[in-house]
Amino acid sequence: MQRQWSLQAPGEPEAEPGGEELCEQEMERLCLSQQPVRVLPYAMVDKRFIRQLREPEGVKTSCWQQWRRRRQTVGRRLGEAARRLTRGCGLWEGALYEIGGLFGTGIQSYFTFLRFLLLLNLLILLLTSGFVLLPLVWLRPPDPGPAFNNTYLFYGAYRAGPESSSTYSIRLAYLLSPLACLLLCFCGILRRMVKGLPQKMFLGQDYRSPLSAKVFSSWDFCIRGQEAATIKRHEISNEFKMELEEGCHLLLLQQQTRAQRACHLLTYLRVNILIGLLVVGAISAIFWATKYSQDNKEESLFLLLQYLPPGVIALVNFLGPLLFVFLVQLENYPPNTEVNLTLIWCVVLKLASLGMFSFSLGQTVLCIGRNKTSCESYGYNACDYQCWENSVGEELYKLSIFNFLLTVAFAFLVSLPRRMLVERFSGRFWAWLDREEFLVPKNVLDIVEGQTVTWMGLFYCPLLPLLNSVFIFLTFYIKKYTLLRNSRASPRRFRASSSIFFFQLVLLLGLLLAAVPLGYVVSSIRSSWDCGLFANYLAPWQVVPELVALWLPPPSQRILYYLGSHAFSFPLLILLSLVLTVCISQSQASSRAIRRLRKQLVWQVQEKWHLVDDLSRLLPEPGSGSRPRSFCPGFPCPGSPGPRPRGNPSASTLGAPDSPCPALKGLPAT
Amino acid sequence: MGGSGSRLSKELLAEYQVRETRSPGSLRAACARERMVPVPRPGGWARPLAPGGLLTLLSRFAFQDLTFLTKQEILLAHRRFCELLPQEHRSVEESLQARVSLEQILSLPELKANPFKERICKVFSTSPSRDSLSFEDFLDLLSVFSDTATPDIKSHYAFRIFDFDDDGTLNREDLSQLVNCLTGESEDTRLSASEMKQLIDNILEESDIDRDGTINLSEFQHVISRSPDFASSFKIVL
Repeated sequence: MQRQWSLQAPGEPEAEPGGEELCEQEMERLCLSQQPVRVLPYAMVDKRFIRQLREPEGVKTSCWQQWRRRRQTVGRRLGEAARRLTRGCGLWEGALYEIGGLFGTGIQSYFTFLRFLLLLNLLILLLTSGFVLLPLVWLRPPDPGPAFNNTYLFYGAYRAGPESSSTYSIRLAYLLSPLACLLLCFCGILRRMVKGLPQKMFLGQDYRSPLSAKVFSSWDFCIRGQEAATIKRHEISNEFKMELEEGCHLLLLQQQTRAQRACHLLTYLRVNILIGLLVVGAISAIFWATKYSQDNKEESLFLLLQYLPPGVIALVNFLGPLLFVFLVQLENYPPNTEVNLTLIWCVVLKLASLGMFSFSLGQTVLCIGRNKTSCESYGYNACDYQCWENSVGEELYKLSIFNFLLTVAFAFLVSLPRRMLVERFSGRFWAWLDREEFLVPKNVLDIVEGQTVTWMGLFYCPLLPLLNSVFIFLTFYIKKYTLLRNSRASPRRFRASSSIFFFQLVLLLGLLLAAVPLGYVVSSIRSSWDCGLFANYLAPWQVVPELVALWLPPPSQRILYYLGSHAFSFPLLILLSLVLTVCISQSQASSRAIRRLRKQLVWQVQEKWHLVDDLSRLLPEPGSGSRPRSFCPGFPCPGSPGPRPRGNPSASTLGAPDSPCPALKGLPAT
Repeated sequence: MGGSGSRLSKELLAEYQVRETRSPGSLRAACARERMVPVPRPGGWARPLAPGGLLTLLSRFAFQDLTFLTKQEILLAHRRFCELLPQEHRSVEESLQARVSLEQILSLPELKANPFKERICKVFSTSPSRDSLSFEDFLDLLSVFSDTATPDIKSHYAFRIFDFDDDGTLNREDLSQLVNCLTGESEDTRLSASEMKQLIDNILEESDIDRDGTINLSEFQHVISRSPDFASSFKIVL
């Protein structure tokens, strides 16, 4: 969108004809362009004028134009409605507005993320109930079993008759809905992640988020309230100082000798290996806790032991970050590196603990990775588990409930008393303790853990998304209360853009972590022989070939078999490589073109100033001595306040002394 | 002269603002091919309006087509604007013609804490001395700062707001004034002179593509397009 024109200042009468011509050209361009009037950067009076010029009121518009205009209006309204829907129909708008006004967009992004997750869970619930629950209830009335385990909360309660070619296959629906949900979530998360992706500023340079973009977009215009503005100023000042420090540090680094660089690398390795060992220790603790809890089911203390795995996970995830922060701070890294390193390790710890939890469950229930006689006959531990899916579902419910109770407990038993004590007493200790800092990454990791558990449980407990939705809904209000009453703002700035990318990335990792065990179970593990939908199948996935044989005619069957076979992977791989090659070569060609254009632009501006210099020497000296207007593209300059007080170009130097043109200083004076 | 980039013709603008009927000879032939948007009723505003008068008036003025605001937002903006007017001028017709002084606009809670509040008001004002806002200017302001405005128009106006000396480019003084607005004037947040110089050098190094020592609109928009933050932070909602 180039607005390639400029007007001379109105006080220069000799330029009138040129100005008039420019005006006419611009008017013509504006009238002919298809852009809607609202995107033009002019005042309302001018927009109305342009609109009038485009479609004069008296002239009858043709049916085609009327229809087009109606279609555009309808399209715009639909777009607005769709956008409102994806934002949850205005759910929590007031609360988000208040939080944004008081704390800025960084912290507001956490609460927007909560809303996104709530909508995701409701969508999953809708899909599951629409395709599985409702047909089940419709086709076969529910018979309530004696135990809690036989409700629709768990896998075991779902039953269906043998497959036939004419009825709706509950089995297929039950099998495919978790996979479809995971796929939809994957696409949704990827889309949002790409939106927040920090872009490379200069091609060929190392990636560093551009300082200029940060400076220009650092003020949150939604802040209301003097206090919030003061806090924001502190944050911005700290951020700028940190960036400058980082820049100096980077320069220093580049001047290091090889030996110094090797030394630096070694210290880097040292701290990472140490933290890695801690993480390994933590997840083995989780492994043993889960095994112990499952092996000692007959103990009298079983009620306590039931919650041992969630308890150990919570403890590990509480102590871990504290230790990481302590260890990383010992090394005296620049602040950005510190923050990033700690964050990465916290994410690794969180996801590894969940992964280890599911692995150790798999080991006890399904004998993965060890040989036990009880597993040999059925492929799962039939001695201890009648219906192993139900047991896994129970564990996941327990984990989910425990995490939520922990959130509530922390909010009301730790943050609230802390605030009350700090307010009540004064003294060095209490001043040092201060209120709790609202750390966005930590809260995000907690909520992503809950979501990962939900995704893990889609196959075993189809109603877990409902429970998670309720938890997220309550968490929003609890966290809002904690933020507004019991916390203080963190001095370190958390930018909204990097946070969107970070949140979605962690969510994506959680989704992948949940998808792997699900894929394994669905494709290779024998289901329980006397409960659930897949009792007579070797693995749940075997329903699909059976149904394909029942429903589809032989030619389609052959095509499907081919698509699913190994032989198809070769053409697919070749096709994907081709597409990838085209994309990469296109982007390389574009970056070459951009480099060339940049050089051309610099050269042209140099030449322009050179010519202006020649002209100013040739012309008789005008009285005003104003700096020649910059004819840079795109800006319709408002009226100049008159000749600039500084910037009297002499014959041999260009430009005003206060705006250096380093590229031009070397030009020879002709 | 004028403001807000209404560079079409100062004569045209003056004509519209005075709301006289035009004679073809007074317009510049090159720019004026059609009649200007007429005043809605030939007799002016004398006729009393029906109770639904505000809505019909708003639709007649086609604010929804000319801004990014929805009908509810426009009505809310009108209500808030009327609260700034003295009691006797709060009728519908008068509010659409009245102008509110800068001090009153700056007292709005949404703008009070903003370090750029004076610049924002100056940029959107269409009065000759740029010290008052009409209702249409106010709508323009809200439209640019609304959720649905395109990033292009936001970056265009952001450039104008940051251009403290109104010369069409961001030079070193503009940038240093910008940074001072962002960090505030208090002792512990203000950047030292050397830090400021280093910061501005970095900014110019990154954004000044044609190496003339200033940032023009295209370069600014190029930088802003690399920051996904900008559209979500450049928002004011009533």
